Amino acid sequence: MKVRLPLLLVLITGIFGALPFLIPHHVIQTADNEFRNSVLVIIGAFSLVLGVGSIIRHHMDKVRRKREHWGYSWVLLISLLITSIIGLFGGIDGNGSLPTHIGNFHFDIQTIFIRMEVPLGATMFSILAFFMSSAAYRSFKARSFEATLLLLTAFIVMFGSVPLSAYLIPKLPHFAEWILTVPSTAAKRGMGFGIALGGLATSLKIILGIERGWLGGTK
Amino acid sequence: MTMIEKLKDFKIKRLLFNFLIFNLLILTSIYAIEPPANVVAKDNPNDGGGSILIQWRISPSDSILDGYRILRQQQGSTEISEVGFIGRGRISFTDEGTTDKMKYTYQVVAVKDTSEVASAWSNPATSKPQWFDTNRISVVVFTILFTFLIIYFIERAKKGTNLFVRKIPGLAAVDEAVGRATEMGKPILYVPGLTGISDVATIAAMNILGEVAKKIAQYDSRLIVPNTDPIVFTVAREVVKEAYIQAGRPDAFKPDSVYFVTDSQFAYAAAVDGIMTREQPATNFFMGYFYAEALILAETGASTGAVQIAGTDAVTQLPFFITSCDYTLLGEELYAASAYLSREPLLLGGLIGQDWGKAVIVVILVVLTVIGLLTNLQVLKLF
Amino acid sequence: MSIWEKLTKIDRRYIYLMLLLVVMIPIIVPFKLHPKPMPPVENLFNAIDAIPPEKALVISVDYSPDTEPELHPMTYALLRHAFARHKKVGILCISLLGLGLAQDALSTVTNEFNSVATTHADSIINGRDYVFWGWQTMPLVPILGMGENIAKVFPVDYYGNKTDTLPMMKKIKNYNNVALLVSIAGGESPFWYITYAQTSFGVRIGVGSTAVMATDFYPYINSGQVTGMMSGMKGGAEYEELVLTKLGIKGRRKATEAMSSQTAAHLWIMLTIVLGNIGYFALRRRKK
Repeated sequence: MKVRLPLLLVLITGIFGALPFLIPHHVIQTADNEFRNSVLVIIGAFSLVLGVGSIIRHHMDKVRRKREHWGYSWVLLISLLITSIIGLFGGIDGNGSLPTHIGNFHFDIQTIFIRMEVPLGATMFSILAFFMSSAAYRSFKARSFEATLLLLTAFIVMFGSVPLSAYLIPKLPHFAEWILTVPSTAAKRGMGFGIALGGLATSLKIILGIERGWLGGTK
Repeated sequence: MTMIEKLKDFKIKRLLFNFLIFNLLILTSIYAIEPPANVVAKDNPNDGGGSILIQWRISPSDSILDGYRILRQQQGSTEISEVGFIGRGRISFTDEGTTDKMKYTYQVVAVKDTSEVASAWSNPATSKPQWFDTNRISVVVFTILFTFLIIYFIERAKKGTNLFVRKIPGLAAVDEAVGRATEMGKPILYVPGLTGISDVATIAAMNILGEVAKKIAQYDSRLIVPNTDPIVFTVAREVVKEAYIQAGRPDAFKPDSVYFVTDSQFAYAAAVDGIMTREQPATNFFMGYFYAEALILAETGASTGAVQIAGTDAVTQLPFFITSCDYTLLGEELYAASAYLSREPLLLGGLIGQDWGKAVIVVILVVLTVIGLLTNLQVLKLF
Repeated sequence: MSIWEKLTKIDRRYIYLMLLLVVMIPIIVPFKLHPKPMPPVENLFNAIDAIPPEKALVISVDYSPDTEPELHPMTYALLRHAFARHKKVGILCISLLGLGLAQDALSTVTNEFNSVATTHADSIINGRDYVFWGWQTMPLVPILGMGENIAKVFPVDYYGNKTDTLPMMKKIKNYNNVALLVSIAGGESPFWYITYAQTSFGVRIGVGSTAVMATDFYPYINSGQVTGMMSGMKGGAEYEELVLTKLGIKGRRKATEAMSSQTAAHLWIMLTIVLGNIGYFALRRRKK
């Protein structure tokens, strides 16, 4: 029963999910719309509760057992609590029931977002540039004919995607664009076919109950 | 007013009148516009009802028109309403505001500045919903064909035919990677991608997680699975728990090993980087769909000296994984992984059916490309 | 260790330090570079220019703060263009974290216009010229739902107004009234719009993508499923250039400002690759 019920649910919802693509009749479309608008939104909302519950439990546990680096867990828990309170009662731009500024010092949710979340996230993203430079330096060697070809192409695309190239070699940005739209796209399409078919086959195997790994086992 | 004055006045008025008529004639001869013809209304095909398609033969004076007004009359009612206006050069309009089973007739009015000429009324038409979208027939045919291929090979597999699957180095290394972690007494990190459970890559990641967790349970190593999607988190936890039970080690399962971190992309990357530098896992798995954070994760992992096995169908991120990881599963190899690891004949059969499906597509593509080239190539016209 | 060997084994920290310098120096001492717009960007610009008055432009702010420096200038440029031409604009977010960013872009750009507007008609007014629908959970809910009824997916807008009571929404009911939908994202949400909104409802799709994800969307430009695209900071800068030269709209152009840093960084990475290869070849020759 523990395995059969989920499999039956998957079979039904899987087939039902495919129907609206083929049947334009409003009976099916409305049912599908309702399902998406109501059921999925509710599931989504509950999953958020599960997620937040999980992270709180994980860090409470760390604090309680005084595991390594447990001090950071306090930072997380306190930040989570403060941000939630400001977000729930402070309103957007600080027009809620909770006062969100002391004199000129504002701490409403939009300010927290723009002044803290944005620079922190951008910092993480910018690390990518550093890692890319070291990875490129380490691995971009003209070891073979193919590697040399790859290196040359990378140079054209990299140089073609800075404005300077348009002044020095006016045709280069267009050539770089051509590399991206023609040879690179052809290769991507090839992989895309494989991935789409693999996806289709995997979906079919899940709907038909052949693939059960996601249920925790194949038996 | 004398008689002569009256006569004069009359002459002037007549002259003025004649002049006006003359001008009007000239104007209409220049700007005479003709109406569109053959207005036909019919139910808009392949929809859920509530719309009628109106088509017409373009007005001969289309090039000087502003456009066309579309008028509608419901049968049994005298009221005429305008349902739309579209620019010149167009020969069809879809009225999206009809009630099913009601009869409507339409008139298309050619408009130029203030002058308008209307066509004749169209045939009465009703809108109705369709039960099948005929535009999608090719999708249905191919899906059925593909399903049959997969079921056929699964049946063959059931009968015990030996099915060959080529070696995938990344998956062959799973045992060794888990064993290494046990020897070193260090944990194993499993990152299940950044997309939700509806993504096939995530489901594939869950399948692989089940197999990897079984091995970890047997070797008695420690597993860490940080998640970025709350639903994936719940599934991952069940998968790992079930794997420990199947491996006969339900006592070794720690619920705390699978947890949710955040759904923010780079905050998640920061958290996983932190785990890698603090816990120094011996092996990192990156399975599923990744975005720009792929290299951030893989480079940090490489700097801690971990053995790294990645697998993704995110084509843009493959180059980054290939440079920074020891093994990388490319595209659909990720989906094949659970069949490969479990060696379950049913799954292997599915894999081979999938390859045959791909072969069919390649043949169709080649044939159609050749036909396309033969019919469109300018050079061929020389012969 | 010979000099050649040293060239192949530069410590990664020196590479990072140099990269930091080549990015920072042009920010402190800027040199202006005007990018030349490429066809995908021009196509996007022209498509927005051609939006008829009865239809709307929809901007889906799908990025999160992480990619703000790269993608936020695109939202600014699109809004400036749309408002200057008095196009109706609908804004939504697929990512929850996009809400704050969309709000920031909207308030900044509307202030730019309203501070110089002299008449009521010239001003950019919420509900008449634009509607900020906000966010809805699960990406597919709004992407598919908007094909049916936008006001049903977003019963209230971001500011709490009832969506269907807003003047602009009287004409903008669903995808039929959307001339172009531009999804700006660091992830794959443009792909969802292409798969579901474009294929099922025939909406024209524009894309604003990070440079690292952009190659994912080129196949869809070829197939005609994507009308136009801005890729990375350069794509944003090209759009800013079009907004400046064709509409004469001034205002801070962050992507263009960053072009000098980006150029320097690209040149530096190319140089490290060249250095690595010189060392590699010299060593190989010696081994022979």
